[in-house]
Amino acid sequence: MKTGPIVIVKRNYLFARGWKSAAPIFLFLPGFLAYLLIAVGPSLATAVYSFTDATGIRGIAINWIGFDNYHEFLLRGAKSRDNIAALKRTVTFSFFVTIIQFGLGLLFAVLLNQGRKGTMLFRTLFFMPVILGVAIQGLIWKLFLLPRGGPVAQALDLVGTSSELLGGPPRSALAWVIVVQIWSNVGITMVIFLAGMQTIPPSLYEAARIDGANGWQLFRNITWPLLTPAANTNFLLNIVGSLQAWQLFLVLIGYRPGTQVLGYLVFAEGFGQTSGSVTSAFRQGYAAAASVALFMLVLIVALAANFLVTHREKKYLG
Amino acid sequence: MTAVDAARSDARRPKRRVKAGTIAWYVILLAFSVVYIGPLLMLVTTSFKTLGEFFKDPTGLPENFGLTNFTYAWEKANFAQYLLNSTLYTVVATAIFVVTSVFVAFPIARGYFKGGQFLLTLYLIALFLPPALIPQFQLILNLGLFNSRTGYILLFLVNPIGIIILVNYMKSIPQELVEAAAVDGCGYYRFMFKIVFPMIRPAIATVTVLHAIGIWNELILPTIYLTNDNLYPVTRGLIAFEGLYGSNWPALAAAVLMLMTPMLLLFLYLQRYIISGLTAGAVKG
Repeated sequence: MKTGPIVIVKRNYLFARGWKSAAPIFLFLPGFLAYLLIAVGPSLATAVYSFTDATGIRGIAINWIGFDNYHEFLLRGAKSRDNIAALKRTVTFSFFVTIIQFGLGLLFAVLLNQGRKGTMLFRTLFFMPVILGVAIQGLIWKLFLLPRGGPVAQALDLVGTSSELLGGPPRSALAWVIVVQIWSNVGITMVIFLAGMQTIPPSLYEAARIDGANGWQLFRNITWPLLTPAANTNFLLNIVGSLQAWQLFLVLIGYRPGTQVLGYLVFAEGFGQTSGSVTSAFRQGYAAAASVALFMLVLIVALAANFLVTHREKKYLG
Repeated sequence: MTAVDAARSDARRPKRRVKAGTIAWYVILLAFSVVYIGPLLMLVTTSFKTLGEFFKDPTGLPENFGLTNFTYAWEKANFAQYLLNSTLYTVVATAIFVVTSVFVAFPIARGYFKGGQFLLTLYLIALFLPPALIPQFQLILNLGLFNSRTGYILLFLVNPIGIIILVNYMKSIPQELVEAAAVDGCGYYRFMFKIVFPMIRPAIATVTVLHAIGIWNELILPTIYLTNDNLYPVTRGLIAFEGLYGSNWPALAAAVLMLMTPMLLLFLYLQRYIISGLTAGAVKG
């Protein structure tokens, strides 16, 4: 009965006997093989490519060059200093996005879980950007952040500061990308918190209210601890998502010195710098090394965050 | 409902406090709404302005609401083709993905294989693996599918989250029900299409909507894999249009508005499935 590591064990009698009983396996294979071939395989092969000088041009031989890509990426010359700066920038970006998106998502969820009039309208509004996708999110904000006479520029004029917004110094450009990133994704954080709140039994609130608890006490002692699973999910999703996010950079400011994050660096090295002129003559081995560096960063931060989160879970949920 | 009860017991408190709370609630949420409505409003007013009007006063109201920018954008860019392409990619890839995924998920969820749990773990792990961007590109390139519809669709035939949602949903259907529904002598293929698919319709709807949105909104993969204007999906087409007419904001705004409106309407209609897809499994910990 053995067919490699996978064995049909039971219930196949339900459908047929003989060779037809293998139908579940035959029909299982297309989806699973596609998964191995298109997702898992390439994912793992990234590490292999990072040790080669692959180019992305069909037919050119690929050579094994050991740790050369890593050495160049981290240690060689001015470019490696830019890479390290991009690495730090990625962490900064992720830090602000994670914290603000988490806080804002929680605030929205708390406010929109009280059954007041207009709740659905606000929920829909805050969630809407999520489904628009980066191209439209980015273009909408590029217009809204028009430096000459745009709404945000005028509002800043009123309070006496003028700014080039996305075209300004790298720091301020980065800050605006953070704003757009949060605007685009806080809806997901919100709905995950709301789903978590729906699992809290109303009787807990009633009992606490009879004991005279106020709004803050209800939140502190019931909502927040019982929201632990949703909070953990959001925390990890936000961290991993923002460390890997870079597509809004592409739409909003392009590949500008002093604003790149690691994800964008991988794309630019592997496929060319601007969206308009992609050729395949780029350094894909080097880009693979950069993408392994990004993966290591995500792994380390995610493991640390996961440690924090499990610790908290034990504290609250035992 | 928690929320309704909370609101009701609020009403039992002294009236003045409730009122202050309500006002604060609206003030906070309306303040945030400005950040959401503002950019959209700017987009709409800009799309109706002439270029001259826009440069003179970007934030003012348009003088008249003509459709010149819309027809201009429609004529200048290949938007009909882009829409057709996006629809083709989304429909074909989603259909193949959903059908193959159900056949992957069912044996795993029902324990037909030894090691089913291991397979599920394999799908979970994939969510954290490094991006497959470069080897994937090498693969498509060497298959000779670079810059082709087939190659592009191939990229969207997998989605671990979809499998996980399907497996979790299938586990919640009692085994007796599945067995009782199977007619004696019913083949696996017929069994799946006649019995399992109808039973898991909500999960299929969720996965379909989630996957389809992902394909429709994808910008990076078409940037990497498609260089022929005739193959562009909407997202890539918009960015290409921006590259050519970027300084003509009224035309660009009209294009964005035209292409996002159907999405917004569809979203309002399918909101439930989108949200259930995004929160699936997220709160169980």
